[in-house]
Amino acid sequence: MIRFKSVNKYYGDFHVLKDINLVINKGEVVVVIGPSGSGKSTMLRCINRLETISDGELTVNGVKVNDKNTNINELRRNIGMVFQHFNLYPHKTVLENITLAPTMVLKQSKEEAEKIAMYYLEKVGIPDKANSYPSQLSGGQQQRVAIARGLAMKPEIMLFDEPTSALDPEMIGEVLDVMKALAKEGMTMVVVTHEMGFAKEVADRIIFMDQGRILEEGKPADFYANPKEERARVFLSRILNH
Amino acid sequence: MIDFSILIDHFDTYLEGFKNTILASIIGLIGSFIIGVIIAVMRIAPIKPFNWIGTAYVEFIRNIPLLIIAFFFYVGLPAVGIQLNGFVAGTIALAIYTASFIAEAIRAGILSVPKGQMEAARSSGLTYLQAMKAVILPQAIKIVIPPIGNQFINLVKNSSILGIIAGLDLMYFGDIVSSHTFVTFDVYIFVGLFYLVLTIPLSYGVRYLERRLARSY
Repeated sequence: MIRFKSVNKYYGDFHVLKDINLVINKGEVVVVIGPSGSGKSTMLRCINRLETISDGELTVNGVKVNDKNTNINELRRNIGMVFQHFNLYPHKTVLENITLAPTMVLKQSKEEAEKIAMYYLEKVGIPDKANSYPSQLSGGQQQRVAIARGLAMKPEIMLFDEPTSALDPEMIGEVLDVMKALAKEGMTMVVVTHEMGFAKEVADRIIFMDQGRILEEGKPADFYANPKEERARVFLSRILNH
Repeated sequence: MIDFSILIDHFDTYLEGFKNTILASIIGLIGSFIIGVIIAVMRIAPIKPFNWIGTAYVEFIRNIPLLIIAFFFYVGLPAVGIQLNGFVAGTIALAIYTASFIAEAIRAGILSVPKGQMEAARSSGLTYLQAMKAVILPQAIKIVIPPIGNQFINLVKNSSILGIIAGLDLMYFGDIVSSHTFVTFDVYIFVGLFYLVLTIPLSYGVRYLERRLARSY
C-alpha cells in the first residue's frame, strides 16, 4: 500500500533520509522508533507529501506521491494525519473541526457530515464536547478530536506523528486506547512514537531508525527481546531503564 | 473667535464634500482590503512568480507618494486616452496605495498563524486556497485588525488628496468656501472637524472589533 524505493532526502547538504526501502501493507500497523533527529517524522511526512523527497520513488496505492501529474489533494483525502501538537483549528468548534474537510473536499451536506462527525466523536468517547472550542478541552481530548477529524474522511491510511509526546502522562492512556481500537479494526497505521507498550501490544512491525537510515525492522516481540543492531540495543536500554 | 456663520452659510457645500469623502472612503476601504488580501496571499503563496508580483507591488506602491499615484490616474491616463474624473482617479489611487500597507499587515498576520494549521488543513485534502479561506485567514484577521484599522483611518484622512485633483471631496469644497469668503483658518477648522466625525467613530469601531474578536475563542 505504501512503498518506499531507495528514497533519499536532503535539506541542503544535510542528508535526512538515506536509502529508505520500506513496504507497508494494507491493514498493517507499523511503529517507527528511533532517537530524535533520526528522520522518522520526516519519513512519515513524506507519505502525504508534507515533505518532498529528493530522489527514489514513493508510492501510495500505486500512485507516485511526488509525480507532477499526481493530484495531491485527492491522494491526501485517503491519508489521515494526526500531529504531535494536535493542530485543531482554534476558531472552530469540535464539530466544525471534524466536518470542515468532509464538506469542503468530499462535498458532503452539513447534516450528513455532522452525523458522521458525531459517530466518530462517540467512538473516541467525547460526543458531549461537540460544541466546545479546542481551547476548552484537555490535551488528551484535543488529540482524540484530531483522530476523529482524520477518521471522518474515511481514509485507508492513518499517520500518527508522535501523537502522545505533547500530552500529560495521565492523558496518554486515553489516546492510546483509541489508537489500539483503531488498529484492531484493521486500519493501516504508521505511528511514530516512543510508547513501547503500545508498540508491543498492537504493532505488526517495528522500524528502528537512526541518522536517516532504517537500521532494523522486525516483529515487536523479537525486536524488544533481541535487537540485532548495537545502536538499537543502546537506544532500547536508555528508554526502557529510565 | 471662530466664525460659525461660515459653517452655517456654506453648510450645503460642506455637506456635498462630506458625502463624497464618505463615498471615496467606503469604496477605497473595500477596494484596498480586497486588493490587499490578494497581494498578501500572492506574496506568501508557494508559487514564485506570484511572490515576485506581490513583492513588486508592495515595494513600488508604498514607496511613492499617494499624490503621485493620484496624478498618474488623473493626468497620466488621459495621455493614453483614458479619461477619469478627479473623484474616480483619486479613489482608485487611494485604494491602490492603501492596499500595499494592508497587504503587509495581512501578510504578517498570516505568517503568525502556526504552520501546523496549514499542514492539518492540507493533509485533510483541502487545496491551498481552501485552507487559506477556511483556516488561515479567519485566524489571521484577529491579529490583523489593529494595524488594518490604522490603515483605514489613514485612508479616510488621505482621501483629502482628492481636493487637489478636483475630486469634489471635503477638501475641495473647503478650498471653494475659502476662496469665496477669503477666510482660511476658520474654513479649514470646520473641514478638520468633519474628518473627525468620520475618524473617531472608526477608531472606536476598530477597538470594539478588537475586543470582540479577542473574546471569540
